Amino acid sequence: MSENLLTTTVGSFGKPEYLTKARGQVARGKLGATELEELERKATAEWIRRQEDIGLDVLVDGEMYRGDMVAYFAERLEGFKIGGLVRSYGNRYYHKPVIAGKISRPKPMTVSWFEYAQSLTSKPVKGMLTGPYTLLDWSYNEAYPTRRDAVLALAEIVRDEARDLERAGAKYIQIDEPAIHARPEEIEIAIEAMGIVTAGLSAKTISHICYGDFAAIYPQVLDLPVDQLDLAMANYGYRWLDLFDRNPFTKELAIGIVDVHAHATETVDEAAEGIRKGLRYVPAAKLWPHPDCGLKTRTVEECVEKCTAVVEATKVVRKELAKVPA
Amino acid sequence: MTIRTTVIGAYPKIGDGLEAQELRRALHRHDRGEIADAELDKVFDDVTRTAIGEIEAAGIDVTNDGQIRWDDLLSPFARTWSGVEPGPLERFYDNNTYFRQPVIDGRIVTDGRSLVRDYTFAAGVAKMTLKAAIPGPLTFATLAARDEQYASLEERVLAIADATAREIAGLKAAGATMIDIEDPAVAASPKNIELAREAYRRLADPDLALTLVTYFFPADTVLESLASFPVAAIGIDVRSRDTTAFDRLDAFRTQAVVLGVVDARNTRLETADEVARYAERALKLVPQERLVLAPTTSLEYLPRDVARAKLTALVEGARLVSGEKVPA
Repeated sequence: MSENLLTTTVGSFGKPEYLTKARGQVARGKLGATELEELERKATAEWIRRQEDIGLDVLVDGEMYRGDMVAYFAERLEGFKIGGLVRSYGNRYYHKPVIAGKISRPKPMTVSWFEYAQSLTSKPVKGMLTGPYTLLDWSYNEAYPTRRDAVLALAEIVRDEARDLERAGAKYIQIDEPAIHARPEEIEIAIEAMGIVTAGLSAKTISHICYGDFAAIYPQVLDLPVDQLDLAMANYGYRWLDLFDRNPFTKELAIGIVDVHAHATETVDEAAEGIRKGLRYVPAAKLWPHPDCGLKTRTVEECVEKCTAVVEATKVVRKELAKVPA
Repeated sequence: MTIRTTVIGAYPKIGDGLEAQELRRALHRHDRGEIADAELDKVFDDVTRTAIGEIEAAGIDVTNDGQIRWDDLLSPFARTWSGVEPGPLERFYDNNTYFRQPVIDGRIVTDGRSLVRDYTFAAGVAKMTLKAAIPGPLTFATLAARDEQYASLEERVLAIADATAREIAGLKAAGATMIDIEDPAVAASPKNIELAREAYRRLADPDLALTLVTYFFPADTVLESLASFPVAAIGIDVRSRDTTAFDRLDAFRTQAVVLGVVDARNTRLETADEVARYAERALKLVPQERLVLAPTTSLEYLPRDVARAKLTALVEGARLVSGEKVPA
């Protein structure tokens, strides 16, 4: 594995049609949980193979078994209730979870999926978790007196899950905080909570942040106790990079070089230009090209195209780097 | 007299039961080309009727049309105004709810009739007083993704204010007398308060009761400024964040205060007692004829059954204050 410009993805991939259909059948009581899980395992195996074929360096399980990055955990934690339907945008709705009591984790939630995905490949697979601040911000809090109280309680849960993933062999653990800038005045709470999650882990830790006003939390976000920040950049015309002029970026940077919300895929040239922009601020050994965000809203074919563009663009830039004497 | 109550912004478009999800199904079918525009329009109208019906059934005094056709606060105008296009998806302030950022690619022009059809339809349905709503110029301008037309934020805000004034005139011609101007940016971005004031000078109309509605953010630093804005009422959210506004409502000496006392962004249900206590606290600083109780913001941040329960608590709380018997 090349040590420069390692390629990866943010976590989720589009579900194959047979799985989307099966999930609908389960919702209507026409298919059992065991049958669904078989299909989820099949889809996971397909995505591991696809990622290897595309040539990605650090893989993910693709989250075939998750609908939503908060609800998946809420459904498995005590203290949460699954709430009614709320609209996120357009004609998309989700069951927004409710924190109705003291939160606890009856058993690990992601470990067996990690183990299964890792058993299918010799490349590293990332453990994928949602961070405590986002779990709170995307739920209704009826139980804890303050938002901070709820975030810190969730941090202990996420910490236990992260430790279990590490024990199961995860070398990379990603704890996503896409809501971290929802209330910039609360960034200290998110940092404190992440400190609880990552304390004592030896795995490489990563946090994905997307949407929202990243400028509002920069440079404070550099205090988030993770090794790597994983940022949407293509969708923002790479404007967050300008922030690094005044306050140098000090972590590893996973840089989004293809926009996940557009059906059309960027050309390899466009994606390569994104990597070159990132290299002005972060050395190749610490720069990780990837798509802007999870790809779950794209079709399988679109996902493959977007990931291929990332890998091909990376090859182009690696070649350029090889020509330049260090 | 009971303290008046009202709603703000959008009402949930669907409920949890399958029978309450006709709009979701119709939009899917419309996307797949299975139903025509006219059929989708009929569903939009039906759901508008349901929303107004539920708001009225809760006993709310002043309703709106529930904004059932609105994808987000800005979309009806990004669609109809020339010079504006819907742009990239972005999170709407601190909500896990998204909107299309407007992209301004030319001089903004409108015929002022963007909401006339919806208002006229709702006026035919509502039995209670009906109000209209429109986004505030500062909010519209600060949420834009790009602006290729106007050289500064000031120019952009004022151009949007002029377009908004035309929409207000269009609504007035259609019979509207009360209009909410939803402008959270006024509280979110207090440094632009004087620019906002200039924009509101362009919106003011002596025949209309305009309410400048702030939400999500504490209005603490702009409270005294807002008290001299040329509007009939100011909407204040006293639940989303810590705020001193609650103890300073006497800043408003002539305007009405639309007080957001029921949290439209949390499912925890307020009791009627709790609502009454908020109202009594406000009544120490604002006379009853200038106080209106409301949810903090759009009820669409809640599942529909919770939204309904919140409205019931709001109305019961208002009745408790005036000693009116709450029906069992």
